[in-house]
Amino acid sequence: MAVELTSRQKSKEKRSLIGMGQIGVESAPECLHSVLGSCVGLVLYHPRLKVAALAHIVLPESAGRSASPGKFADTALPHMIRLLGNRGVNRSGLKAKIAGGAEMFGKTGPLKIGAANIMAVTAGLKEAGIPLVASHVGGKKGRRVCFDCSTLQLTIEIIGQEKEVI
Amino acid sequence: MTEISSPADARQERIYELFSGATQEASDAMSRWTGGEVTLSLNEVQEISLDEIFEQLDVCEDLLTMVVLSIDEEIGGELILTFDELNGRRLAATLAGREVDLESPWTPLEKSALCETGNILGCAYLNALAQAVGVDLIPSPPHFIQDYGASVLQQALLTQAMMTDEIMIARTGFARGDEQLDWSVYFIPTLAMRDALEQTLSSRNGQAKV
Repeated sequence: MAVELTSRQKSKEKRSLIGMGQIGVESAPECLHSVLGSCVGLVLYHPRLKVAALAHIVLPESAGRSASPGKFADTALPHMIRLLGNRGVNRSGLKAKIAGGAEMFGKTGPLKIGAANIMAVTAGLKEAGIPLVASHVGGKKGRRVCFDCSTLQLTIEIIGQEKEVI
Repeated sequence: MTEISSPADARQERIYELFSGATQEASDAMSRWTGGEVTLSLNEVQEISLDEIFEQLDVCEDLLTMVVLSIDEEIGGELILTFDELNGRRLAATLAGREVDLESPWTPLEKSALCETGNILGCAYLNALAQAVGVDLIPSPPHFIQDYGASVLQQALLTQAMMTDEIMIARTGFARGDEQLDWSVYFIPTLAMRDALEQTLSSRNGQAKV
């Protein structure tokens, strides 16, 4: 199910923002946007058809919970493939880019969700046979990300740093 | 016609009262700290669906200056004091007895002034909650951050998100006299803290019935 955003959200931001646990699907010339901290943004896209899905993944494992497929790494990926399939996109041509997975405000201790999210997403992609062509992950700062379905570029903004494109 | 509120409303009212008490303690501390200028009032205690949090709290892509106090225990949570750049600068300058300077990077003194503010109001807030719930809540040293508000909130609500899609958040606003300031305090309890709050409410309700 593609995300339906409220008019309030659209009018304020003048663009679609993918919230926690949500999955958005767009095609050129649209862009997909999100703001990430410890969460991981997974983009699956088809280079020729220029259709893409962005999932805002919060946690690595669903442990059998199926209510919000976009929330977990293990359920988001198959759900994204299904959503893209509904748009006529065959999984065999898909490629992936990821960003996020920070450990915000210097969190220490055993609960490293950012790192766990990155591991779960990369393992899922490997298992699904989808090439991960670029990533911008880790660190201790939030990221504002934008995937342009026309150029297939993922732009990363971190406060106090130069904008990066992967 | 008599209006009968539902049990859910009554519960919500009791939660609100509980957080109002903590907010009042923080407000008194903040008032003393700022020479009577700034006070706090509880805006809302909400249980928000995870996927709606950005828009509900209106912190989508805003760059915020924040002070974070973490209680890294099972019964714990995160307390986040947020300002936009201008208001953070104004408060820091006032406390440091300097002119507002928006051009230069934040000085250690300005950061320290904001952290101390977070510490003072955070400890008052958490002491009141600890007393209500009957546990010790010992926060980390205050942590100064400038980042996207949404990125910081994500980390803060993770322990709840692991178990539920409905996230409890208490939001408090600030005022200087009659003027509402664009500052907020968010308290995001852990799931165990939520349970402790519920137990406190149940026992209070039981006592009230007796």
